[in-house]
Amino acid sequence: MKNKTIVYTLHFLCFIVAALTIVGCQQKQEQVGQEQGITITDDLGRKLHLPKQPERVFGFTSAMAEMLFAIVDTANIIARTPDCDYPAAVYTKPVVSNYPVDLEQVLALKPDLIFTSEGMTPLEDAARLQELGIPVYYQKYRTVEDVLKGIEDIGRIMGREQVANHLADSLRKEVQQLEANYRNRPNPLQVLTITWTDPIYVYGKNTLLTDKLRILGAENAVKETFDQPYPALTREYILKLNPDVLMGGTKEKLEQTFFSQYPELRKIKAYKDGRIYAPTGNLIERPGPRIVESIKELEGFLYP
Amino acid sequence: MMRILYFILALLLIAIVIVLGLQVGSFESDLATIAEAFLNYNPDNTTHYAIVHLRLPRLLLALVVGAALAFCGYLMQAMVNNGLADPYLLGTASGASLGAVLVFFGFINISISGFYMPPVLAMAGAFIVTLVVVILGYRKRQLIPAQLLLAGIAISSLCTAIVGLLTFLSDSEGKLKSVIFWSMGSFERASWTLLPYPAIALIVALILFAFMQKQLNILMLGSERAQALGVQVSYTRWAILATVSIVTGFAVATSGPIGFVGLIVPHVTRGLLGTTGRSNLLFCAFVGGLFMLLCDLLSRIIYPPTGLPIGIITSFFGVPFFVYLLSRKNYKFSS
Repeated sequence: MKNKTIVYTLHFLCFIVAALTIVGCQQKQEQVGQEQGITITDDLGRKLHLPKQPERVFGFTSAMAEMLFAIVDTANIIARTPDCDYPAAVYTKPVVSNYPVDLEQVLALKPDLIFTSEGMTPLEDAARLQELGIPVYYQKYRTVEDVLKGIEDIGRIMGREQVANHLADSLRKEVQQLEANYRNRPNPLQVLTITWTDPIYVYGKNTLLTDKLRILGAENAVKETFDQPYPALTREYILKLNPDVLMGGTKEKLEQTFFSQYPELRKIKAYKDGRIYAPTGNLIERPGPRIVESIKELEGFLYP
Repeated sequence: MMRILYFILALLLIAIVIVLGLQVGSFESDLATIAEAFLNYNPDNTTHYAIVHLRLPRLLLALVVGAALAFCGYLMQAMVNNGLADPYLLGTASGASLGAVLVFFGFINISISGFYMPPVLAMAGAFIVTLVVVILGYRKRQLIPAQLLLAGIAISSLCTAIVGLLTFLSDSEGKLKSVIFWSMGSFERASWTLLPYPAIALIVALILFAFMQKQLNILMLGSERAQALGVQVSYTRWAILATVSIVTGFAVATSGPIGFVGLIVPHVTRGLLGTTGRSNLLFCAFVGGLFMLLCDLLSRIIYPPTGLPIGIITSFFGVPFFVYLLSRKNYKFSS
């Protein structure tokens, strides 16, 4: 009887030990699994954990779509936003609403990662997507070099370093060449670029355009740093800036929509000299792989 | 005697605020520069140009629009015998907003024959909506104030809903900025070519109603008593409606729908001069103009260079004063 009790007790202990071992092993496996995932930090300092290298991705901005199509295998890009129009291959992808974010549609697409840029996707939307298990990676650009680094970052995350680094390096070389051509120019051209006419909104100092102009030896006429990247300005402020060059539309278009509304601004130097140009919206607005194309377009306006 | 003192004080304050306002802008300018700009104007000097062609019309437009809205608010409150009435009761503001928004969203060309269309369409929207509200408020050859009020609210809501729908469906951030800027009011579009429209409308209306102050005071006793006291109620109401729709229409078309002024300034006037003062309307216009000038100046000092939307400032500074006025025991809406 006593032996039986000892045997039962030993069996019970063995069972407990075995159970604990199995549970312990499972826990260890989970830790290993976590260790096997990837933790990345985006440009806003947000840490994102990815269980594996992402395979199903898309961009929440049209510029990001251009970046992805330049770096990632097309098969890995699973959607586009309504504004995406470049490259032509983007039209083969299903449209997903980014404003407001169609959460159900995004969930149905099962992306491993969504790329976006600062200010283009509200952080609350990113947090909600994170709760649903979809990480959102933000990039932030202040300079042309930031965009080139952004290309390299996407390449690293997507396992396409070779393609991305090659693209970034070739673009970097072109930027350096342009920079060398226009370095130390006396009396740099003062350029004012409007984004909207009523009220008057312009490209502020803390936008990528300021760096593009610097590369070309010119300056953004807006020297003051405002809270908004694209501040509203008064007619008097623009009269005081007195830019050499005005960008934002053709002479004919701005005559109809801008100068007819604000005839006082016909006193600025750019109007008197007829230096009014219409940059291509998709080029000047989008921080992407066509950034050098954008700088060269500006070069054509500034130094015809 | 007090009445004359109040008038002198209002005029003095208007002059002081205009002089202060002339000094606020992107170009640095002290009193000497301002005096030089007027006495020895040099068109090639951009500071002179800014003072004469940008700052002065802006200040005068603020003065005129403030005066117009306060004046129309006084008329509307007298007409419907209700202290909650304001110039936008007839749907003028929402009609004007809808007109402007239709242009911003591309339903109508932004510029036709060199004319910038948002103010033109705002004016048209204001008139069309006012006409619809008046038709709905008209029954058995008489204007029914209660019906007019309800029609105004209903049509305004419809216009606001259409504006909301267009805004929601907007495909560009710029369009949204235009709508927001328009809906909160601004004097940034002021110019010497724009100023005469609201100014002439206001001056004509002030002259017309200078002879009707007595009828207005009696109208505030209610239509039956006014009729018994010999006032031609129907005629007076039509005169008020026509005046309010034209004057408010011009004010909104040039500066956007600026709230609160038309509601509170008539109360301030009655609080200071009494409910049956003979020169209440004129004083109301002066105080409205002064209040708007002050709000515009503050908005530009607080948030340079564009200034905060003027509607925000009128509410921030108007509400505390309004609450104080209403809490005064000796103030009442009508006699």
